[in-house]
Amino acid sequence: MESTATISESPDTFSSFDPNTMRTTKPGLKRLILTFSILISFFLGLPFLLKSVEIYRAPLPFHEMDSIESTHLSFPCKFQVMLLGLDYATETSSKLGFSIQESMKKLTGTSSVCGSCSENYTVSITIDSSETLDDSVKNDHVFDELLKGKLEGSGNVYSVVVVSSDEEIRAVVGRFRHAWIIGRVSEVDLAGMIAEILVKIFVNGGKDDGAIHGEFMPVGADGRVVLSFSLLNANPEHWIYDWDFKNVDEMFLTPLVKALYPIANVSVESQVLYHTPKSYFSYWDDKLESYIFNTKDLPFFVNSNEWHLDTSISAGGRSKILHFVVYVPSADECPLLLQLPNGETSGTNGFISPVIHFALFLIQACYMCIIVLKMPNDFPFRSWYSADVGRCYYMESSKLFERFRKSFQTYNFPSALCLHILKQDLKNIFEVFMGQFRQLFGLKSDSIFMGLSGSYKLLTSESGFADWELDLLSRQHTCFNLGSCATTLGSLSRLVQSLPRMIIMDEIGKEVKFSLEAAKLAHENASLGIYEASAGVSSSFTQAFGLSSRQARVLAEDAFYHPSIMSVSYYSFEHCFAVYSPFFLPVAVHVLLAAVRELRRYKRERAKYLAWKAKANVAAQVQQS
Amino acid sequence: MLLPRQTRLALFLLSNLFFIPIAFSLVEEQEQFTEELLLKPLPDRKVLSHFHFQSRAPPTASYGHHHRLFPKAIYHLVHKYRIREMELSFTQGRWNYERWGGFDPISSNNAKPPGVELWAVFDVPEHLVDAYWKNLTHTLSGLFCASINFLESSTTYAAPEWGFRPFTGSLRYGSLPREAVCTENLTPWLKLLPCRDKAGLSALLERPSIYKGFYHSQQLHLTSAEFKSAELDSGIILEQTLTVVLQPGTKRTGLAYFQPSWSISSIFGKQITGKCVLAKSSSVFLQIESDAVSELKNLWKENGMSVKSNEMSKNLWSNPYFELSIAPDRVREASSFNSDSSSIFYEFFIQKYSRSESFDLGLTWKSPFVWSCPKAPLHATRFLMGSGNERGSVAITLRTTELNWRLMDADISEETCKLRVDIFQMVPWYVKVYYHTLLVFVDEKPQALIDVVERMHVSPSEDKVSPGLMELALKLPCRLNSAALTIEFSKGFLHIDEYPPDANQGFDIPSAVISFPSFKTRLHFPNDDSVSYLPLLSKLQASTFVCMQERSPVLSYTEVLLVPLTTPDFSMPYNVITITCTVFALYFGSLLNVLRRRVGEEERILKKKAANKKTNRISILLSKFFAKLRGRPWEPPESPVSSLSSPKLLLKVIVVAAVAAGWQYYSSK
Repeated sequence: MESTATISESPDTFSSFDPNTMRTTKPGLKRLILTFSILISFFLGLPFLLKSVEIYRAPLPFHEMDSIESTHLSFPCKFQVMLLGLDYATETSSKLGFSIQESMKKLTGTSSVCGSCSENYTVSITIDSSETLDDSVKNDHVFDELLKGKLEGSGNVYSVVVVSSDEEIRAVVGRFRHAWIIGRVSEVDLAGMIAEILVKIFVNGGKDDGAIHGEFMPVGADGRVVLSFSLLNANPEHWIYDWDFKNVDEMFLTPLVKALYPIANVSVESQVLYHTPKSYFSYWDDKLESYIFNTKDLPFFVNSNEWHLDTSISAGGRSKILHFVVYVPSADECPLLLQLPNGETSGTNGFISPVIHFALFLIQACYMCIIVLKMPNDFPFRSWYSADVGRCYYMESSKLFERFRKSFQTYNFPSALCLHILKQDLKNIFEVFMGQFRQLFGLKSDSIFMGLSGSYKLLTSESGFADWELDLLSRQHTCFNLGSCATTLGSLSRLVQSLPRMIIMDEIGKEVKFSLEAAKLAHENASLGIYEASAGVSSSFTQAFGLSSRQARVLAEDAFYHPSIMSVSYYSFEHCFAVYSPFFLPVAVHVLLAAVRELRRYKRERAKYLAWKAKANVAAQVQQS
Repeated sequence: MLLPRQTRLALFLLSNLFFIPIAFSLVEEQEQFTEELLLKPLPDRKVLSHFHFQSRAPPTASYGHHHRLFPKAIYHLVHKYRIREMELSFTQGRWNYERWGGFDPISSNNAKPPGVELWAVFDVPEHLVDAYWKNLTHTLSGLFCASINFLESSTTYAAPEWGFRPFTGSLRYGSLPREAVCTENLTPWLKLLPCRDKAGLSALLERPSIYKGFYHSQQLHLTSAEFKSAELDSGIILEQTLTVVLQPGTKRTGLAYFQPSWSISSIFGKQITGKCVLAKSSSVFLQIESDAVSELKNLWKENGMSVKSNEMSKNLWSNPYFELSIAPDRVREASSFNSDSSSIFYEFFIQKYSRSESFDLGLTWKSPFVWSCPKAPLHATRFLMGSGNERGSVAITLRTTELNWRLMDADISEETCKLRVDIFQMVPWYVKVYYHTLLVFVDEKPQALIDVVERMHVSPSEDKVSPGLMELALKLPCRLNSAALTIEFSKGFLHIDEYPPDANQGFDIPSAVISFPSFKTRLHFPNDDSVSYLPLLSKLQASTFVCMQERSPVLSYTEVLLVPLTTPDFSMPYNVITITCTVFALYFGSLLNVLRRRVGEEERILKKKAANKKTNRISILLSKFFAKLRGRPWEPPESPVSSLSSPKLLLKVIVVAAVAAGWQYYSSK
């Protein structure tokens, strides 16, 4: 202030000096530099601040996760045809081979479904004219075993054996990986039949449309299936049915569990429940002399209030539980039949309900042997093990039952009848169950396959699944597993990318990595046809890619359902803002305002100085001149 | 063909030798389900009803894992978690040890602390026990619709050494005093019964009537001998009990001091319509306590009636004092060790009854009648002392009850006579107990710990890791009137995340368990072998009770304590953040201002402005005020010049008001 005052008062100034628009000294830079250095340090500190509020995200291989979706899976399959006792020349055999491949191509069509064999297959033809066959040809099962021994060395190759004989033409598909055709067949027909067996049955599993529905597999995400069997006694006061499940387990289910091992880890449990009425009424039909339950009422059949088909404790969180329920109607509604929409009664009396996971219900009709036991009054349970069987009655209607019951009461028998489901009935029930179970896996249970060039007999295996069916299942299963692994990883990648503030733990990264590795391994094994290496051990080849694909899926699911994703999924930006804004907002206003003001002032003052300087220069020039 | 006599005899013996074990094993090899109900009038005009359901599964090794009666869920639970023994109880209300008894087996086994109590013994190596316990709590909480999963955290459960049950190492104990118990816990419990509540005795369990009661305890006790460490392979036994204390309806028959008459339908609102067809046995018992029986006998004597013990119990169901509406099918007498006379059990077989002929047992009192119930040797209460939010102390007092001392082996008059009392106490970590401050008073005189404490095991709490545990075996003189224990504690601080919702309610300290190992709660049925077929009675007799090598001691639980802890203001962190940030921002801003201030220039500008301004009163006053603040003489503004400032100001005010109104309008939308 003083300086301007002195300047304005100095004698050698011009009278036109205006302190409002001019100044004689250079404006100082001190404050400007100060405020700007604060502003710059403020901006420089911003990345550190953002770093400090950053959340941890394990690096995920997004590209690989997305690209796995598009990879296609194809399994190499090998086929061979063996001609026994036929006098074919070598050139005809190569001709036959060519025509078989031609018709196979025709049958396969252009669309390749996931889980089927790849395009570039080979059909090898061997001729063995020296072989003579005895009568074993007549018995299918014996011949099946015989062929198994003969073809053992050739590995996991699907083979068709043609046996020339004067018998009627017969084509049979065995329980292992071979089929045979007996009879004199012309060359053209033979090629058609062989191609049909190979493509339609061995590759496509005997499905007409050729479309393998690999979309659904009744296997849980952790590769486990729990088969839960329940016997429901609608009203135990009328009768109590009981089954010998231990026996059933040993007879029917243990082979099944063993056979399905490469596809799923199957476990079996059972329970008997009482007081479980169905939740919808049935009506009496005079013509059929039975109670009828219509299929259109089936959604109301399951009484979820009273039927405690609980989930199993021993099953993990993501195992699939398949409930198989046998319903024993009470005496008031016996016999109970299931009527199909076309008016006929169902042959199996069973149905599949998607209401509770996947449950199969068998309504046990009352046409069964009732064993009347000599029981002491107060000891109804002795009968279960008691061997002194009295007489055997057939119950055909509830009216008969009432008569029966009355006679019972006169003999002072206990109010409840304790009955055993007979072995034969139990066998029937489990055959229906096996059919339904195969249906869940997408397999048919017909014993004859009708093709274009003839009909083929299908032999049934004790375990319920033939080897070639298991191959088919494991191909489909591998395909399905890899598909679901890919979709899971894909959606995980999309989810993670769409939520930038989601915490991702290292475990998830690890699981994704391992899952990708397992999927890659499964891919490699499948495309190399690794099963050749482990030939000889039946169905062990499926484990090579079956298991690694299962592992890939399990790991992918683990990564997706990792608890850390669920719990602390989102650290909100608002939270961060709320914590830091009370400090940074006011300070930022101060710093910015200060910088802007200083800059403006500096510009103004500099303009003043420049104005003065110009004037001074002019004055100096004037003075000089 | 005749064999010589000796040979025949030998053959017979041989066949017996072979066949008897087979027959025996056949009986053992079956699944069994029994249902029983015990009704007992209590001295304070209430009725105790105790439902007892037992399911038994034969050993897996011989029977396999498919069952027809035994619940699948429990079987898998036992096998998945390798449970040797487990007890889960859901309780509402507090058992009144003084009025409802403290010495009988029911009060020792079925009186439980409020909320949920769970203990389990695992058959796994010791380092795996905790992992199994944690998984078990989660499964049980799913199974019973309760928050048992809170017992997963290591701060909520403890591993008692000897004070609770005699399983060292593999036993875990936890309790949730605040768990509310209601029908959602009862329904899954009923689901484990083969007949659920559709038939049999369980059909009586009408929810409104049983939850209306004074005490409600639902228990599940599992004993399994499935694993290798068990000596006896007896399979799995599942005992489900429900103990309810109900007040019979006020059907006043006479004066107020009459005991209320009741019937099953008046208590439960339902009648028994037959047994569960799957039950091997189904019976209802009515127990008249020994004290009541001896009282009756005395009254009979006074009235000059002949008293023969046998005869009396036979005819007792209809006498001048009370009457049963249905004649009992069987009368049993049970002598207990703490009384001269024996209590009487009237047994009714339910299988005779059906829907058309239902069972409705009634008890009608004909004349006033008073008795008392057997009490525990010492009555225990626990309370808090001290005030404030920092320190306090827990006190447990034991008072003698008028107990018959004869049941003890030693002579009470002797100086050496000692009464052993075991105390098991678990304290959460935020109540930091100073175990060195333990003081014991006998008859209000302080005692040296060495004189009274026989055995002591303490595991101090670790912050946020484990609770404190105290197991104490006291040897008290027999002729004491009262004993007291005090122990001091200080209250800890929890992290803000650790407070439960409604933290101001306070924190619960689980009940302490007081047991008297020298007293056994055992009833004895002399000359009565059929008792072993009735699980309820044989449990009361405690002879076939597999899980306990020794007979069950007299046991009682103390009250749950409520400790208020200092609770923070939960919005405090934000407040603190906001205020510190604001202070910092102010400081920073003013510092910045000071740094870039040009005092001389500003003053000059101000002066100039003041010169241009119109003088009004307020501005003069203000400038005077500021001048005073600055400590300079006030100079009046020089030349008043008319200005445009007032319409400008008005415009500014209007703009601000418009913005505010707009904000209000849009934000409220």
